[in-house]
Amino acid sequence: MRMFIWTCVLALMATSLVWGQNINSVVEARAVMATDAGHANSAVKLAVLAQVAAGYHINDHKPSLDYLIPTDLKVDPSDQFAVKTVVYPKGTPVRFAFSDVPLSVYEGSVVVGALLQTGKAVPAGTYTLKAKFAYQACNDHACLPPANVPLTVTIKVVPRNVPLKPVEPDVFQRIKFE
Amino acid sequence: MEEQTPIENTPEASKPPEGSPPENRAAAKFKVLVGALLAIILVVGLYYVNRYWIAPAVKAQPKGDENHPPAPAFSLTDITGQPLKLSDYQGKVVALDFWATWCGPCRIEIPGFIELQKRYGAQGFTMIGISMDDSPEPVVDFYKELQMNYPVAVGNDRLGELYGGIPGLPTTFLIGRDGRIYAKHVGATDPTIFETEIKELLAIAPGTEAKSFQQAGHIFDDDKVALGDPAVIDSEVPGIDLSKLTAGQKEGFKKQLEGQQCTCGCKRNLLNCRQKDRGCSFSRKLAQDQMDAFLKEKSSGSATKQ
Repeated sequence: MRMFIWTCVLALMATSLVWGQNINSVVEARAVMATDAGHANSAVKLAVLAQVAAGYHINDHKPSLDYLIPTDLKVDPSDQFAVKTVVYPKGTPVRFAFSDVPLSVYEGSVVVGALLQTGKAVPAGTYTLKAKFAYQACNDHACLPPANVPLTVTIKVVPRNVPLKPVEPDVFQRIKFE
Repeated sequence: MEEQTPIENTPEASKPPEGSPPENRAAAKFKVLVGALLAIILVVGLYYVNRYWIAPAVKAQPKGDENHPPAPAFSLTDITGQPLKLSDYQGKVVALDFWATWCGPCRIEIPGFIELQKRYGAQGFTMIGISMDDSPEPVVDFYKELQMNYPVAVGNDRLGELYGGIPGLPTTFLIGRDGRIYAKHVGATDPTIFETEIKELLAIAPGTEAKSFQQAGHIFDDDKVALGDPAVIDSEVPGIDLSKLTAGQKEGFKKQLEGQQCTCGCKRNLLNCRQKDRGCSFSRKLAQDQMDAFLKEKSSGSATKQ
């Protein structure tokens, strides 16, 4: 009985904490390149790491129901870089109080990858790309309006004879670039 | 056999009588220690009960006139093309539901609202739906699919701001026959909670304040009714309070915002982003930071002059 009462108390406290979360920080995201620089006329891998606050979820890029707003990464192409593909992780099926069927969602740490192609004659230098990580977050009881995290990606292009060093390889191991 | 002294409920009673054996004194000391420990546990327990249950509930509880503010008026066109004005429902109990078709917890509430409209519509109650969708098309489809039996219009950020900002959907306001807001529920809510409140508000005579009304169900911090200030909402920099600035300072502040880029990715300057997209949280925060810095500079400037 005592165990039951304490469980209820802790559950209530946890609910209040989740509810009281600052809605502006439900999703935080940052962009990272697979290597410290890139070469002209070659592929460059980019990852966006998003952290969804505990108790919240964002929809799969391919949502389970047609009315749900998908998670989306938009990378603006530039004169120096073309966007070849964007790779999304597989969502986790989760059952919510508001849905009869489990919904495929992202919770916690989410990694989205983008494969870029550097132009053939891009001179060595530092370039910036603009990207947007768009999402719509909910918890079990309420939803927040669609939102996005604007991202600025800095890419250094170096001569072909300069070797490239990997950056945060553990992040890129989570992305299945085909 | 020695006669024992009766134990009295006084501090003195815990003291062993003079000349009592040492084991009795040790037992008495132990009792005092246990008592003190229990008192500490009780105080700490009460502190947490107050912090997590009593204080939030009391904070959110309507206490009287000022906590039952008049519902902000609005005038929209509903999805069937008919005018939808809150003032047309004067004397009725209104449940004003801010929702969206992309919001699962909102959708699950709708059948309950349709049922409430059926049950209490003839008794002076009406549901009103304000969809926060970007366009009416999905709302019209959903309205037809569920055969919704109450007026629904597509709202806007300004209306949401008038109602104190709607960061989470669904958010439902219960408005009494006197036009005051009596309850606010953020998140999907059990229809029986709405029914309890509707019945209580329907029992109050039109134009009379329901002073003893208590919001039903668990009250969260987000449920506190705090309406937006129309002067701030409709200021020249929407959402930013310019009332502390002179006409000249206002122009200077606006110029300052024009000179800065908004970071939301809209490719507009801050002033333009605020005016064209009032729902943008980036431009709101940046403009507010600018205003705080502007006021700080102003006050430090005037302090230096003195």
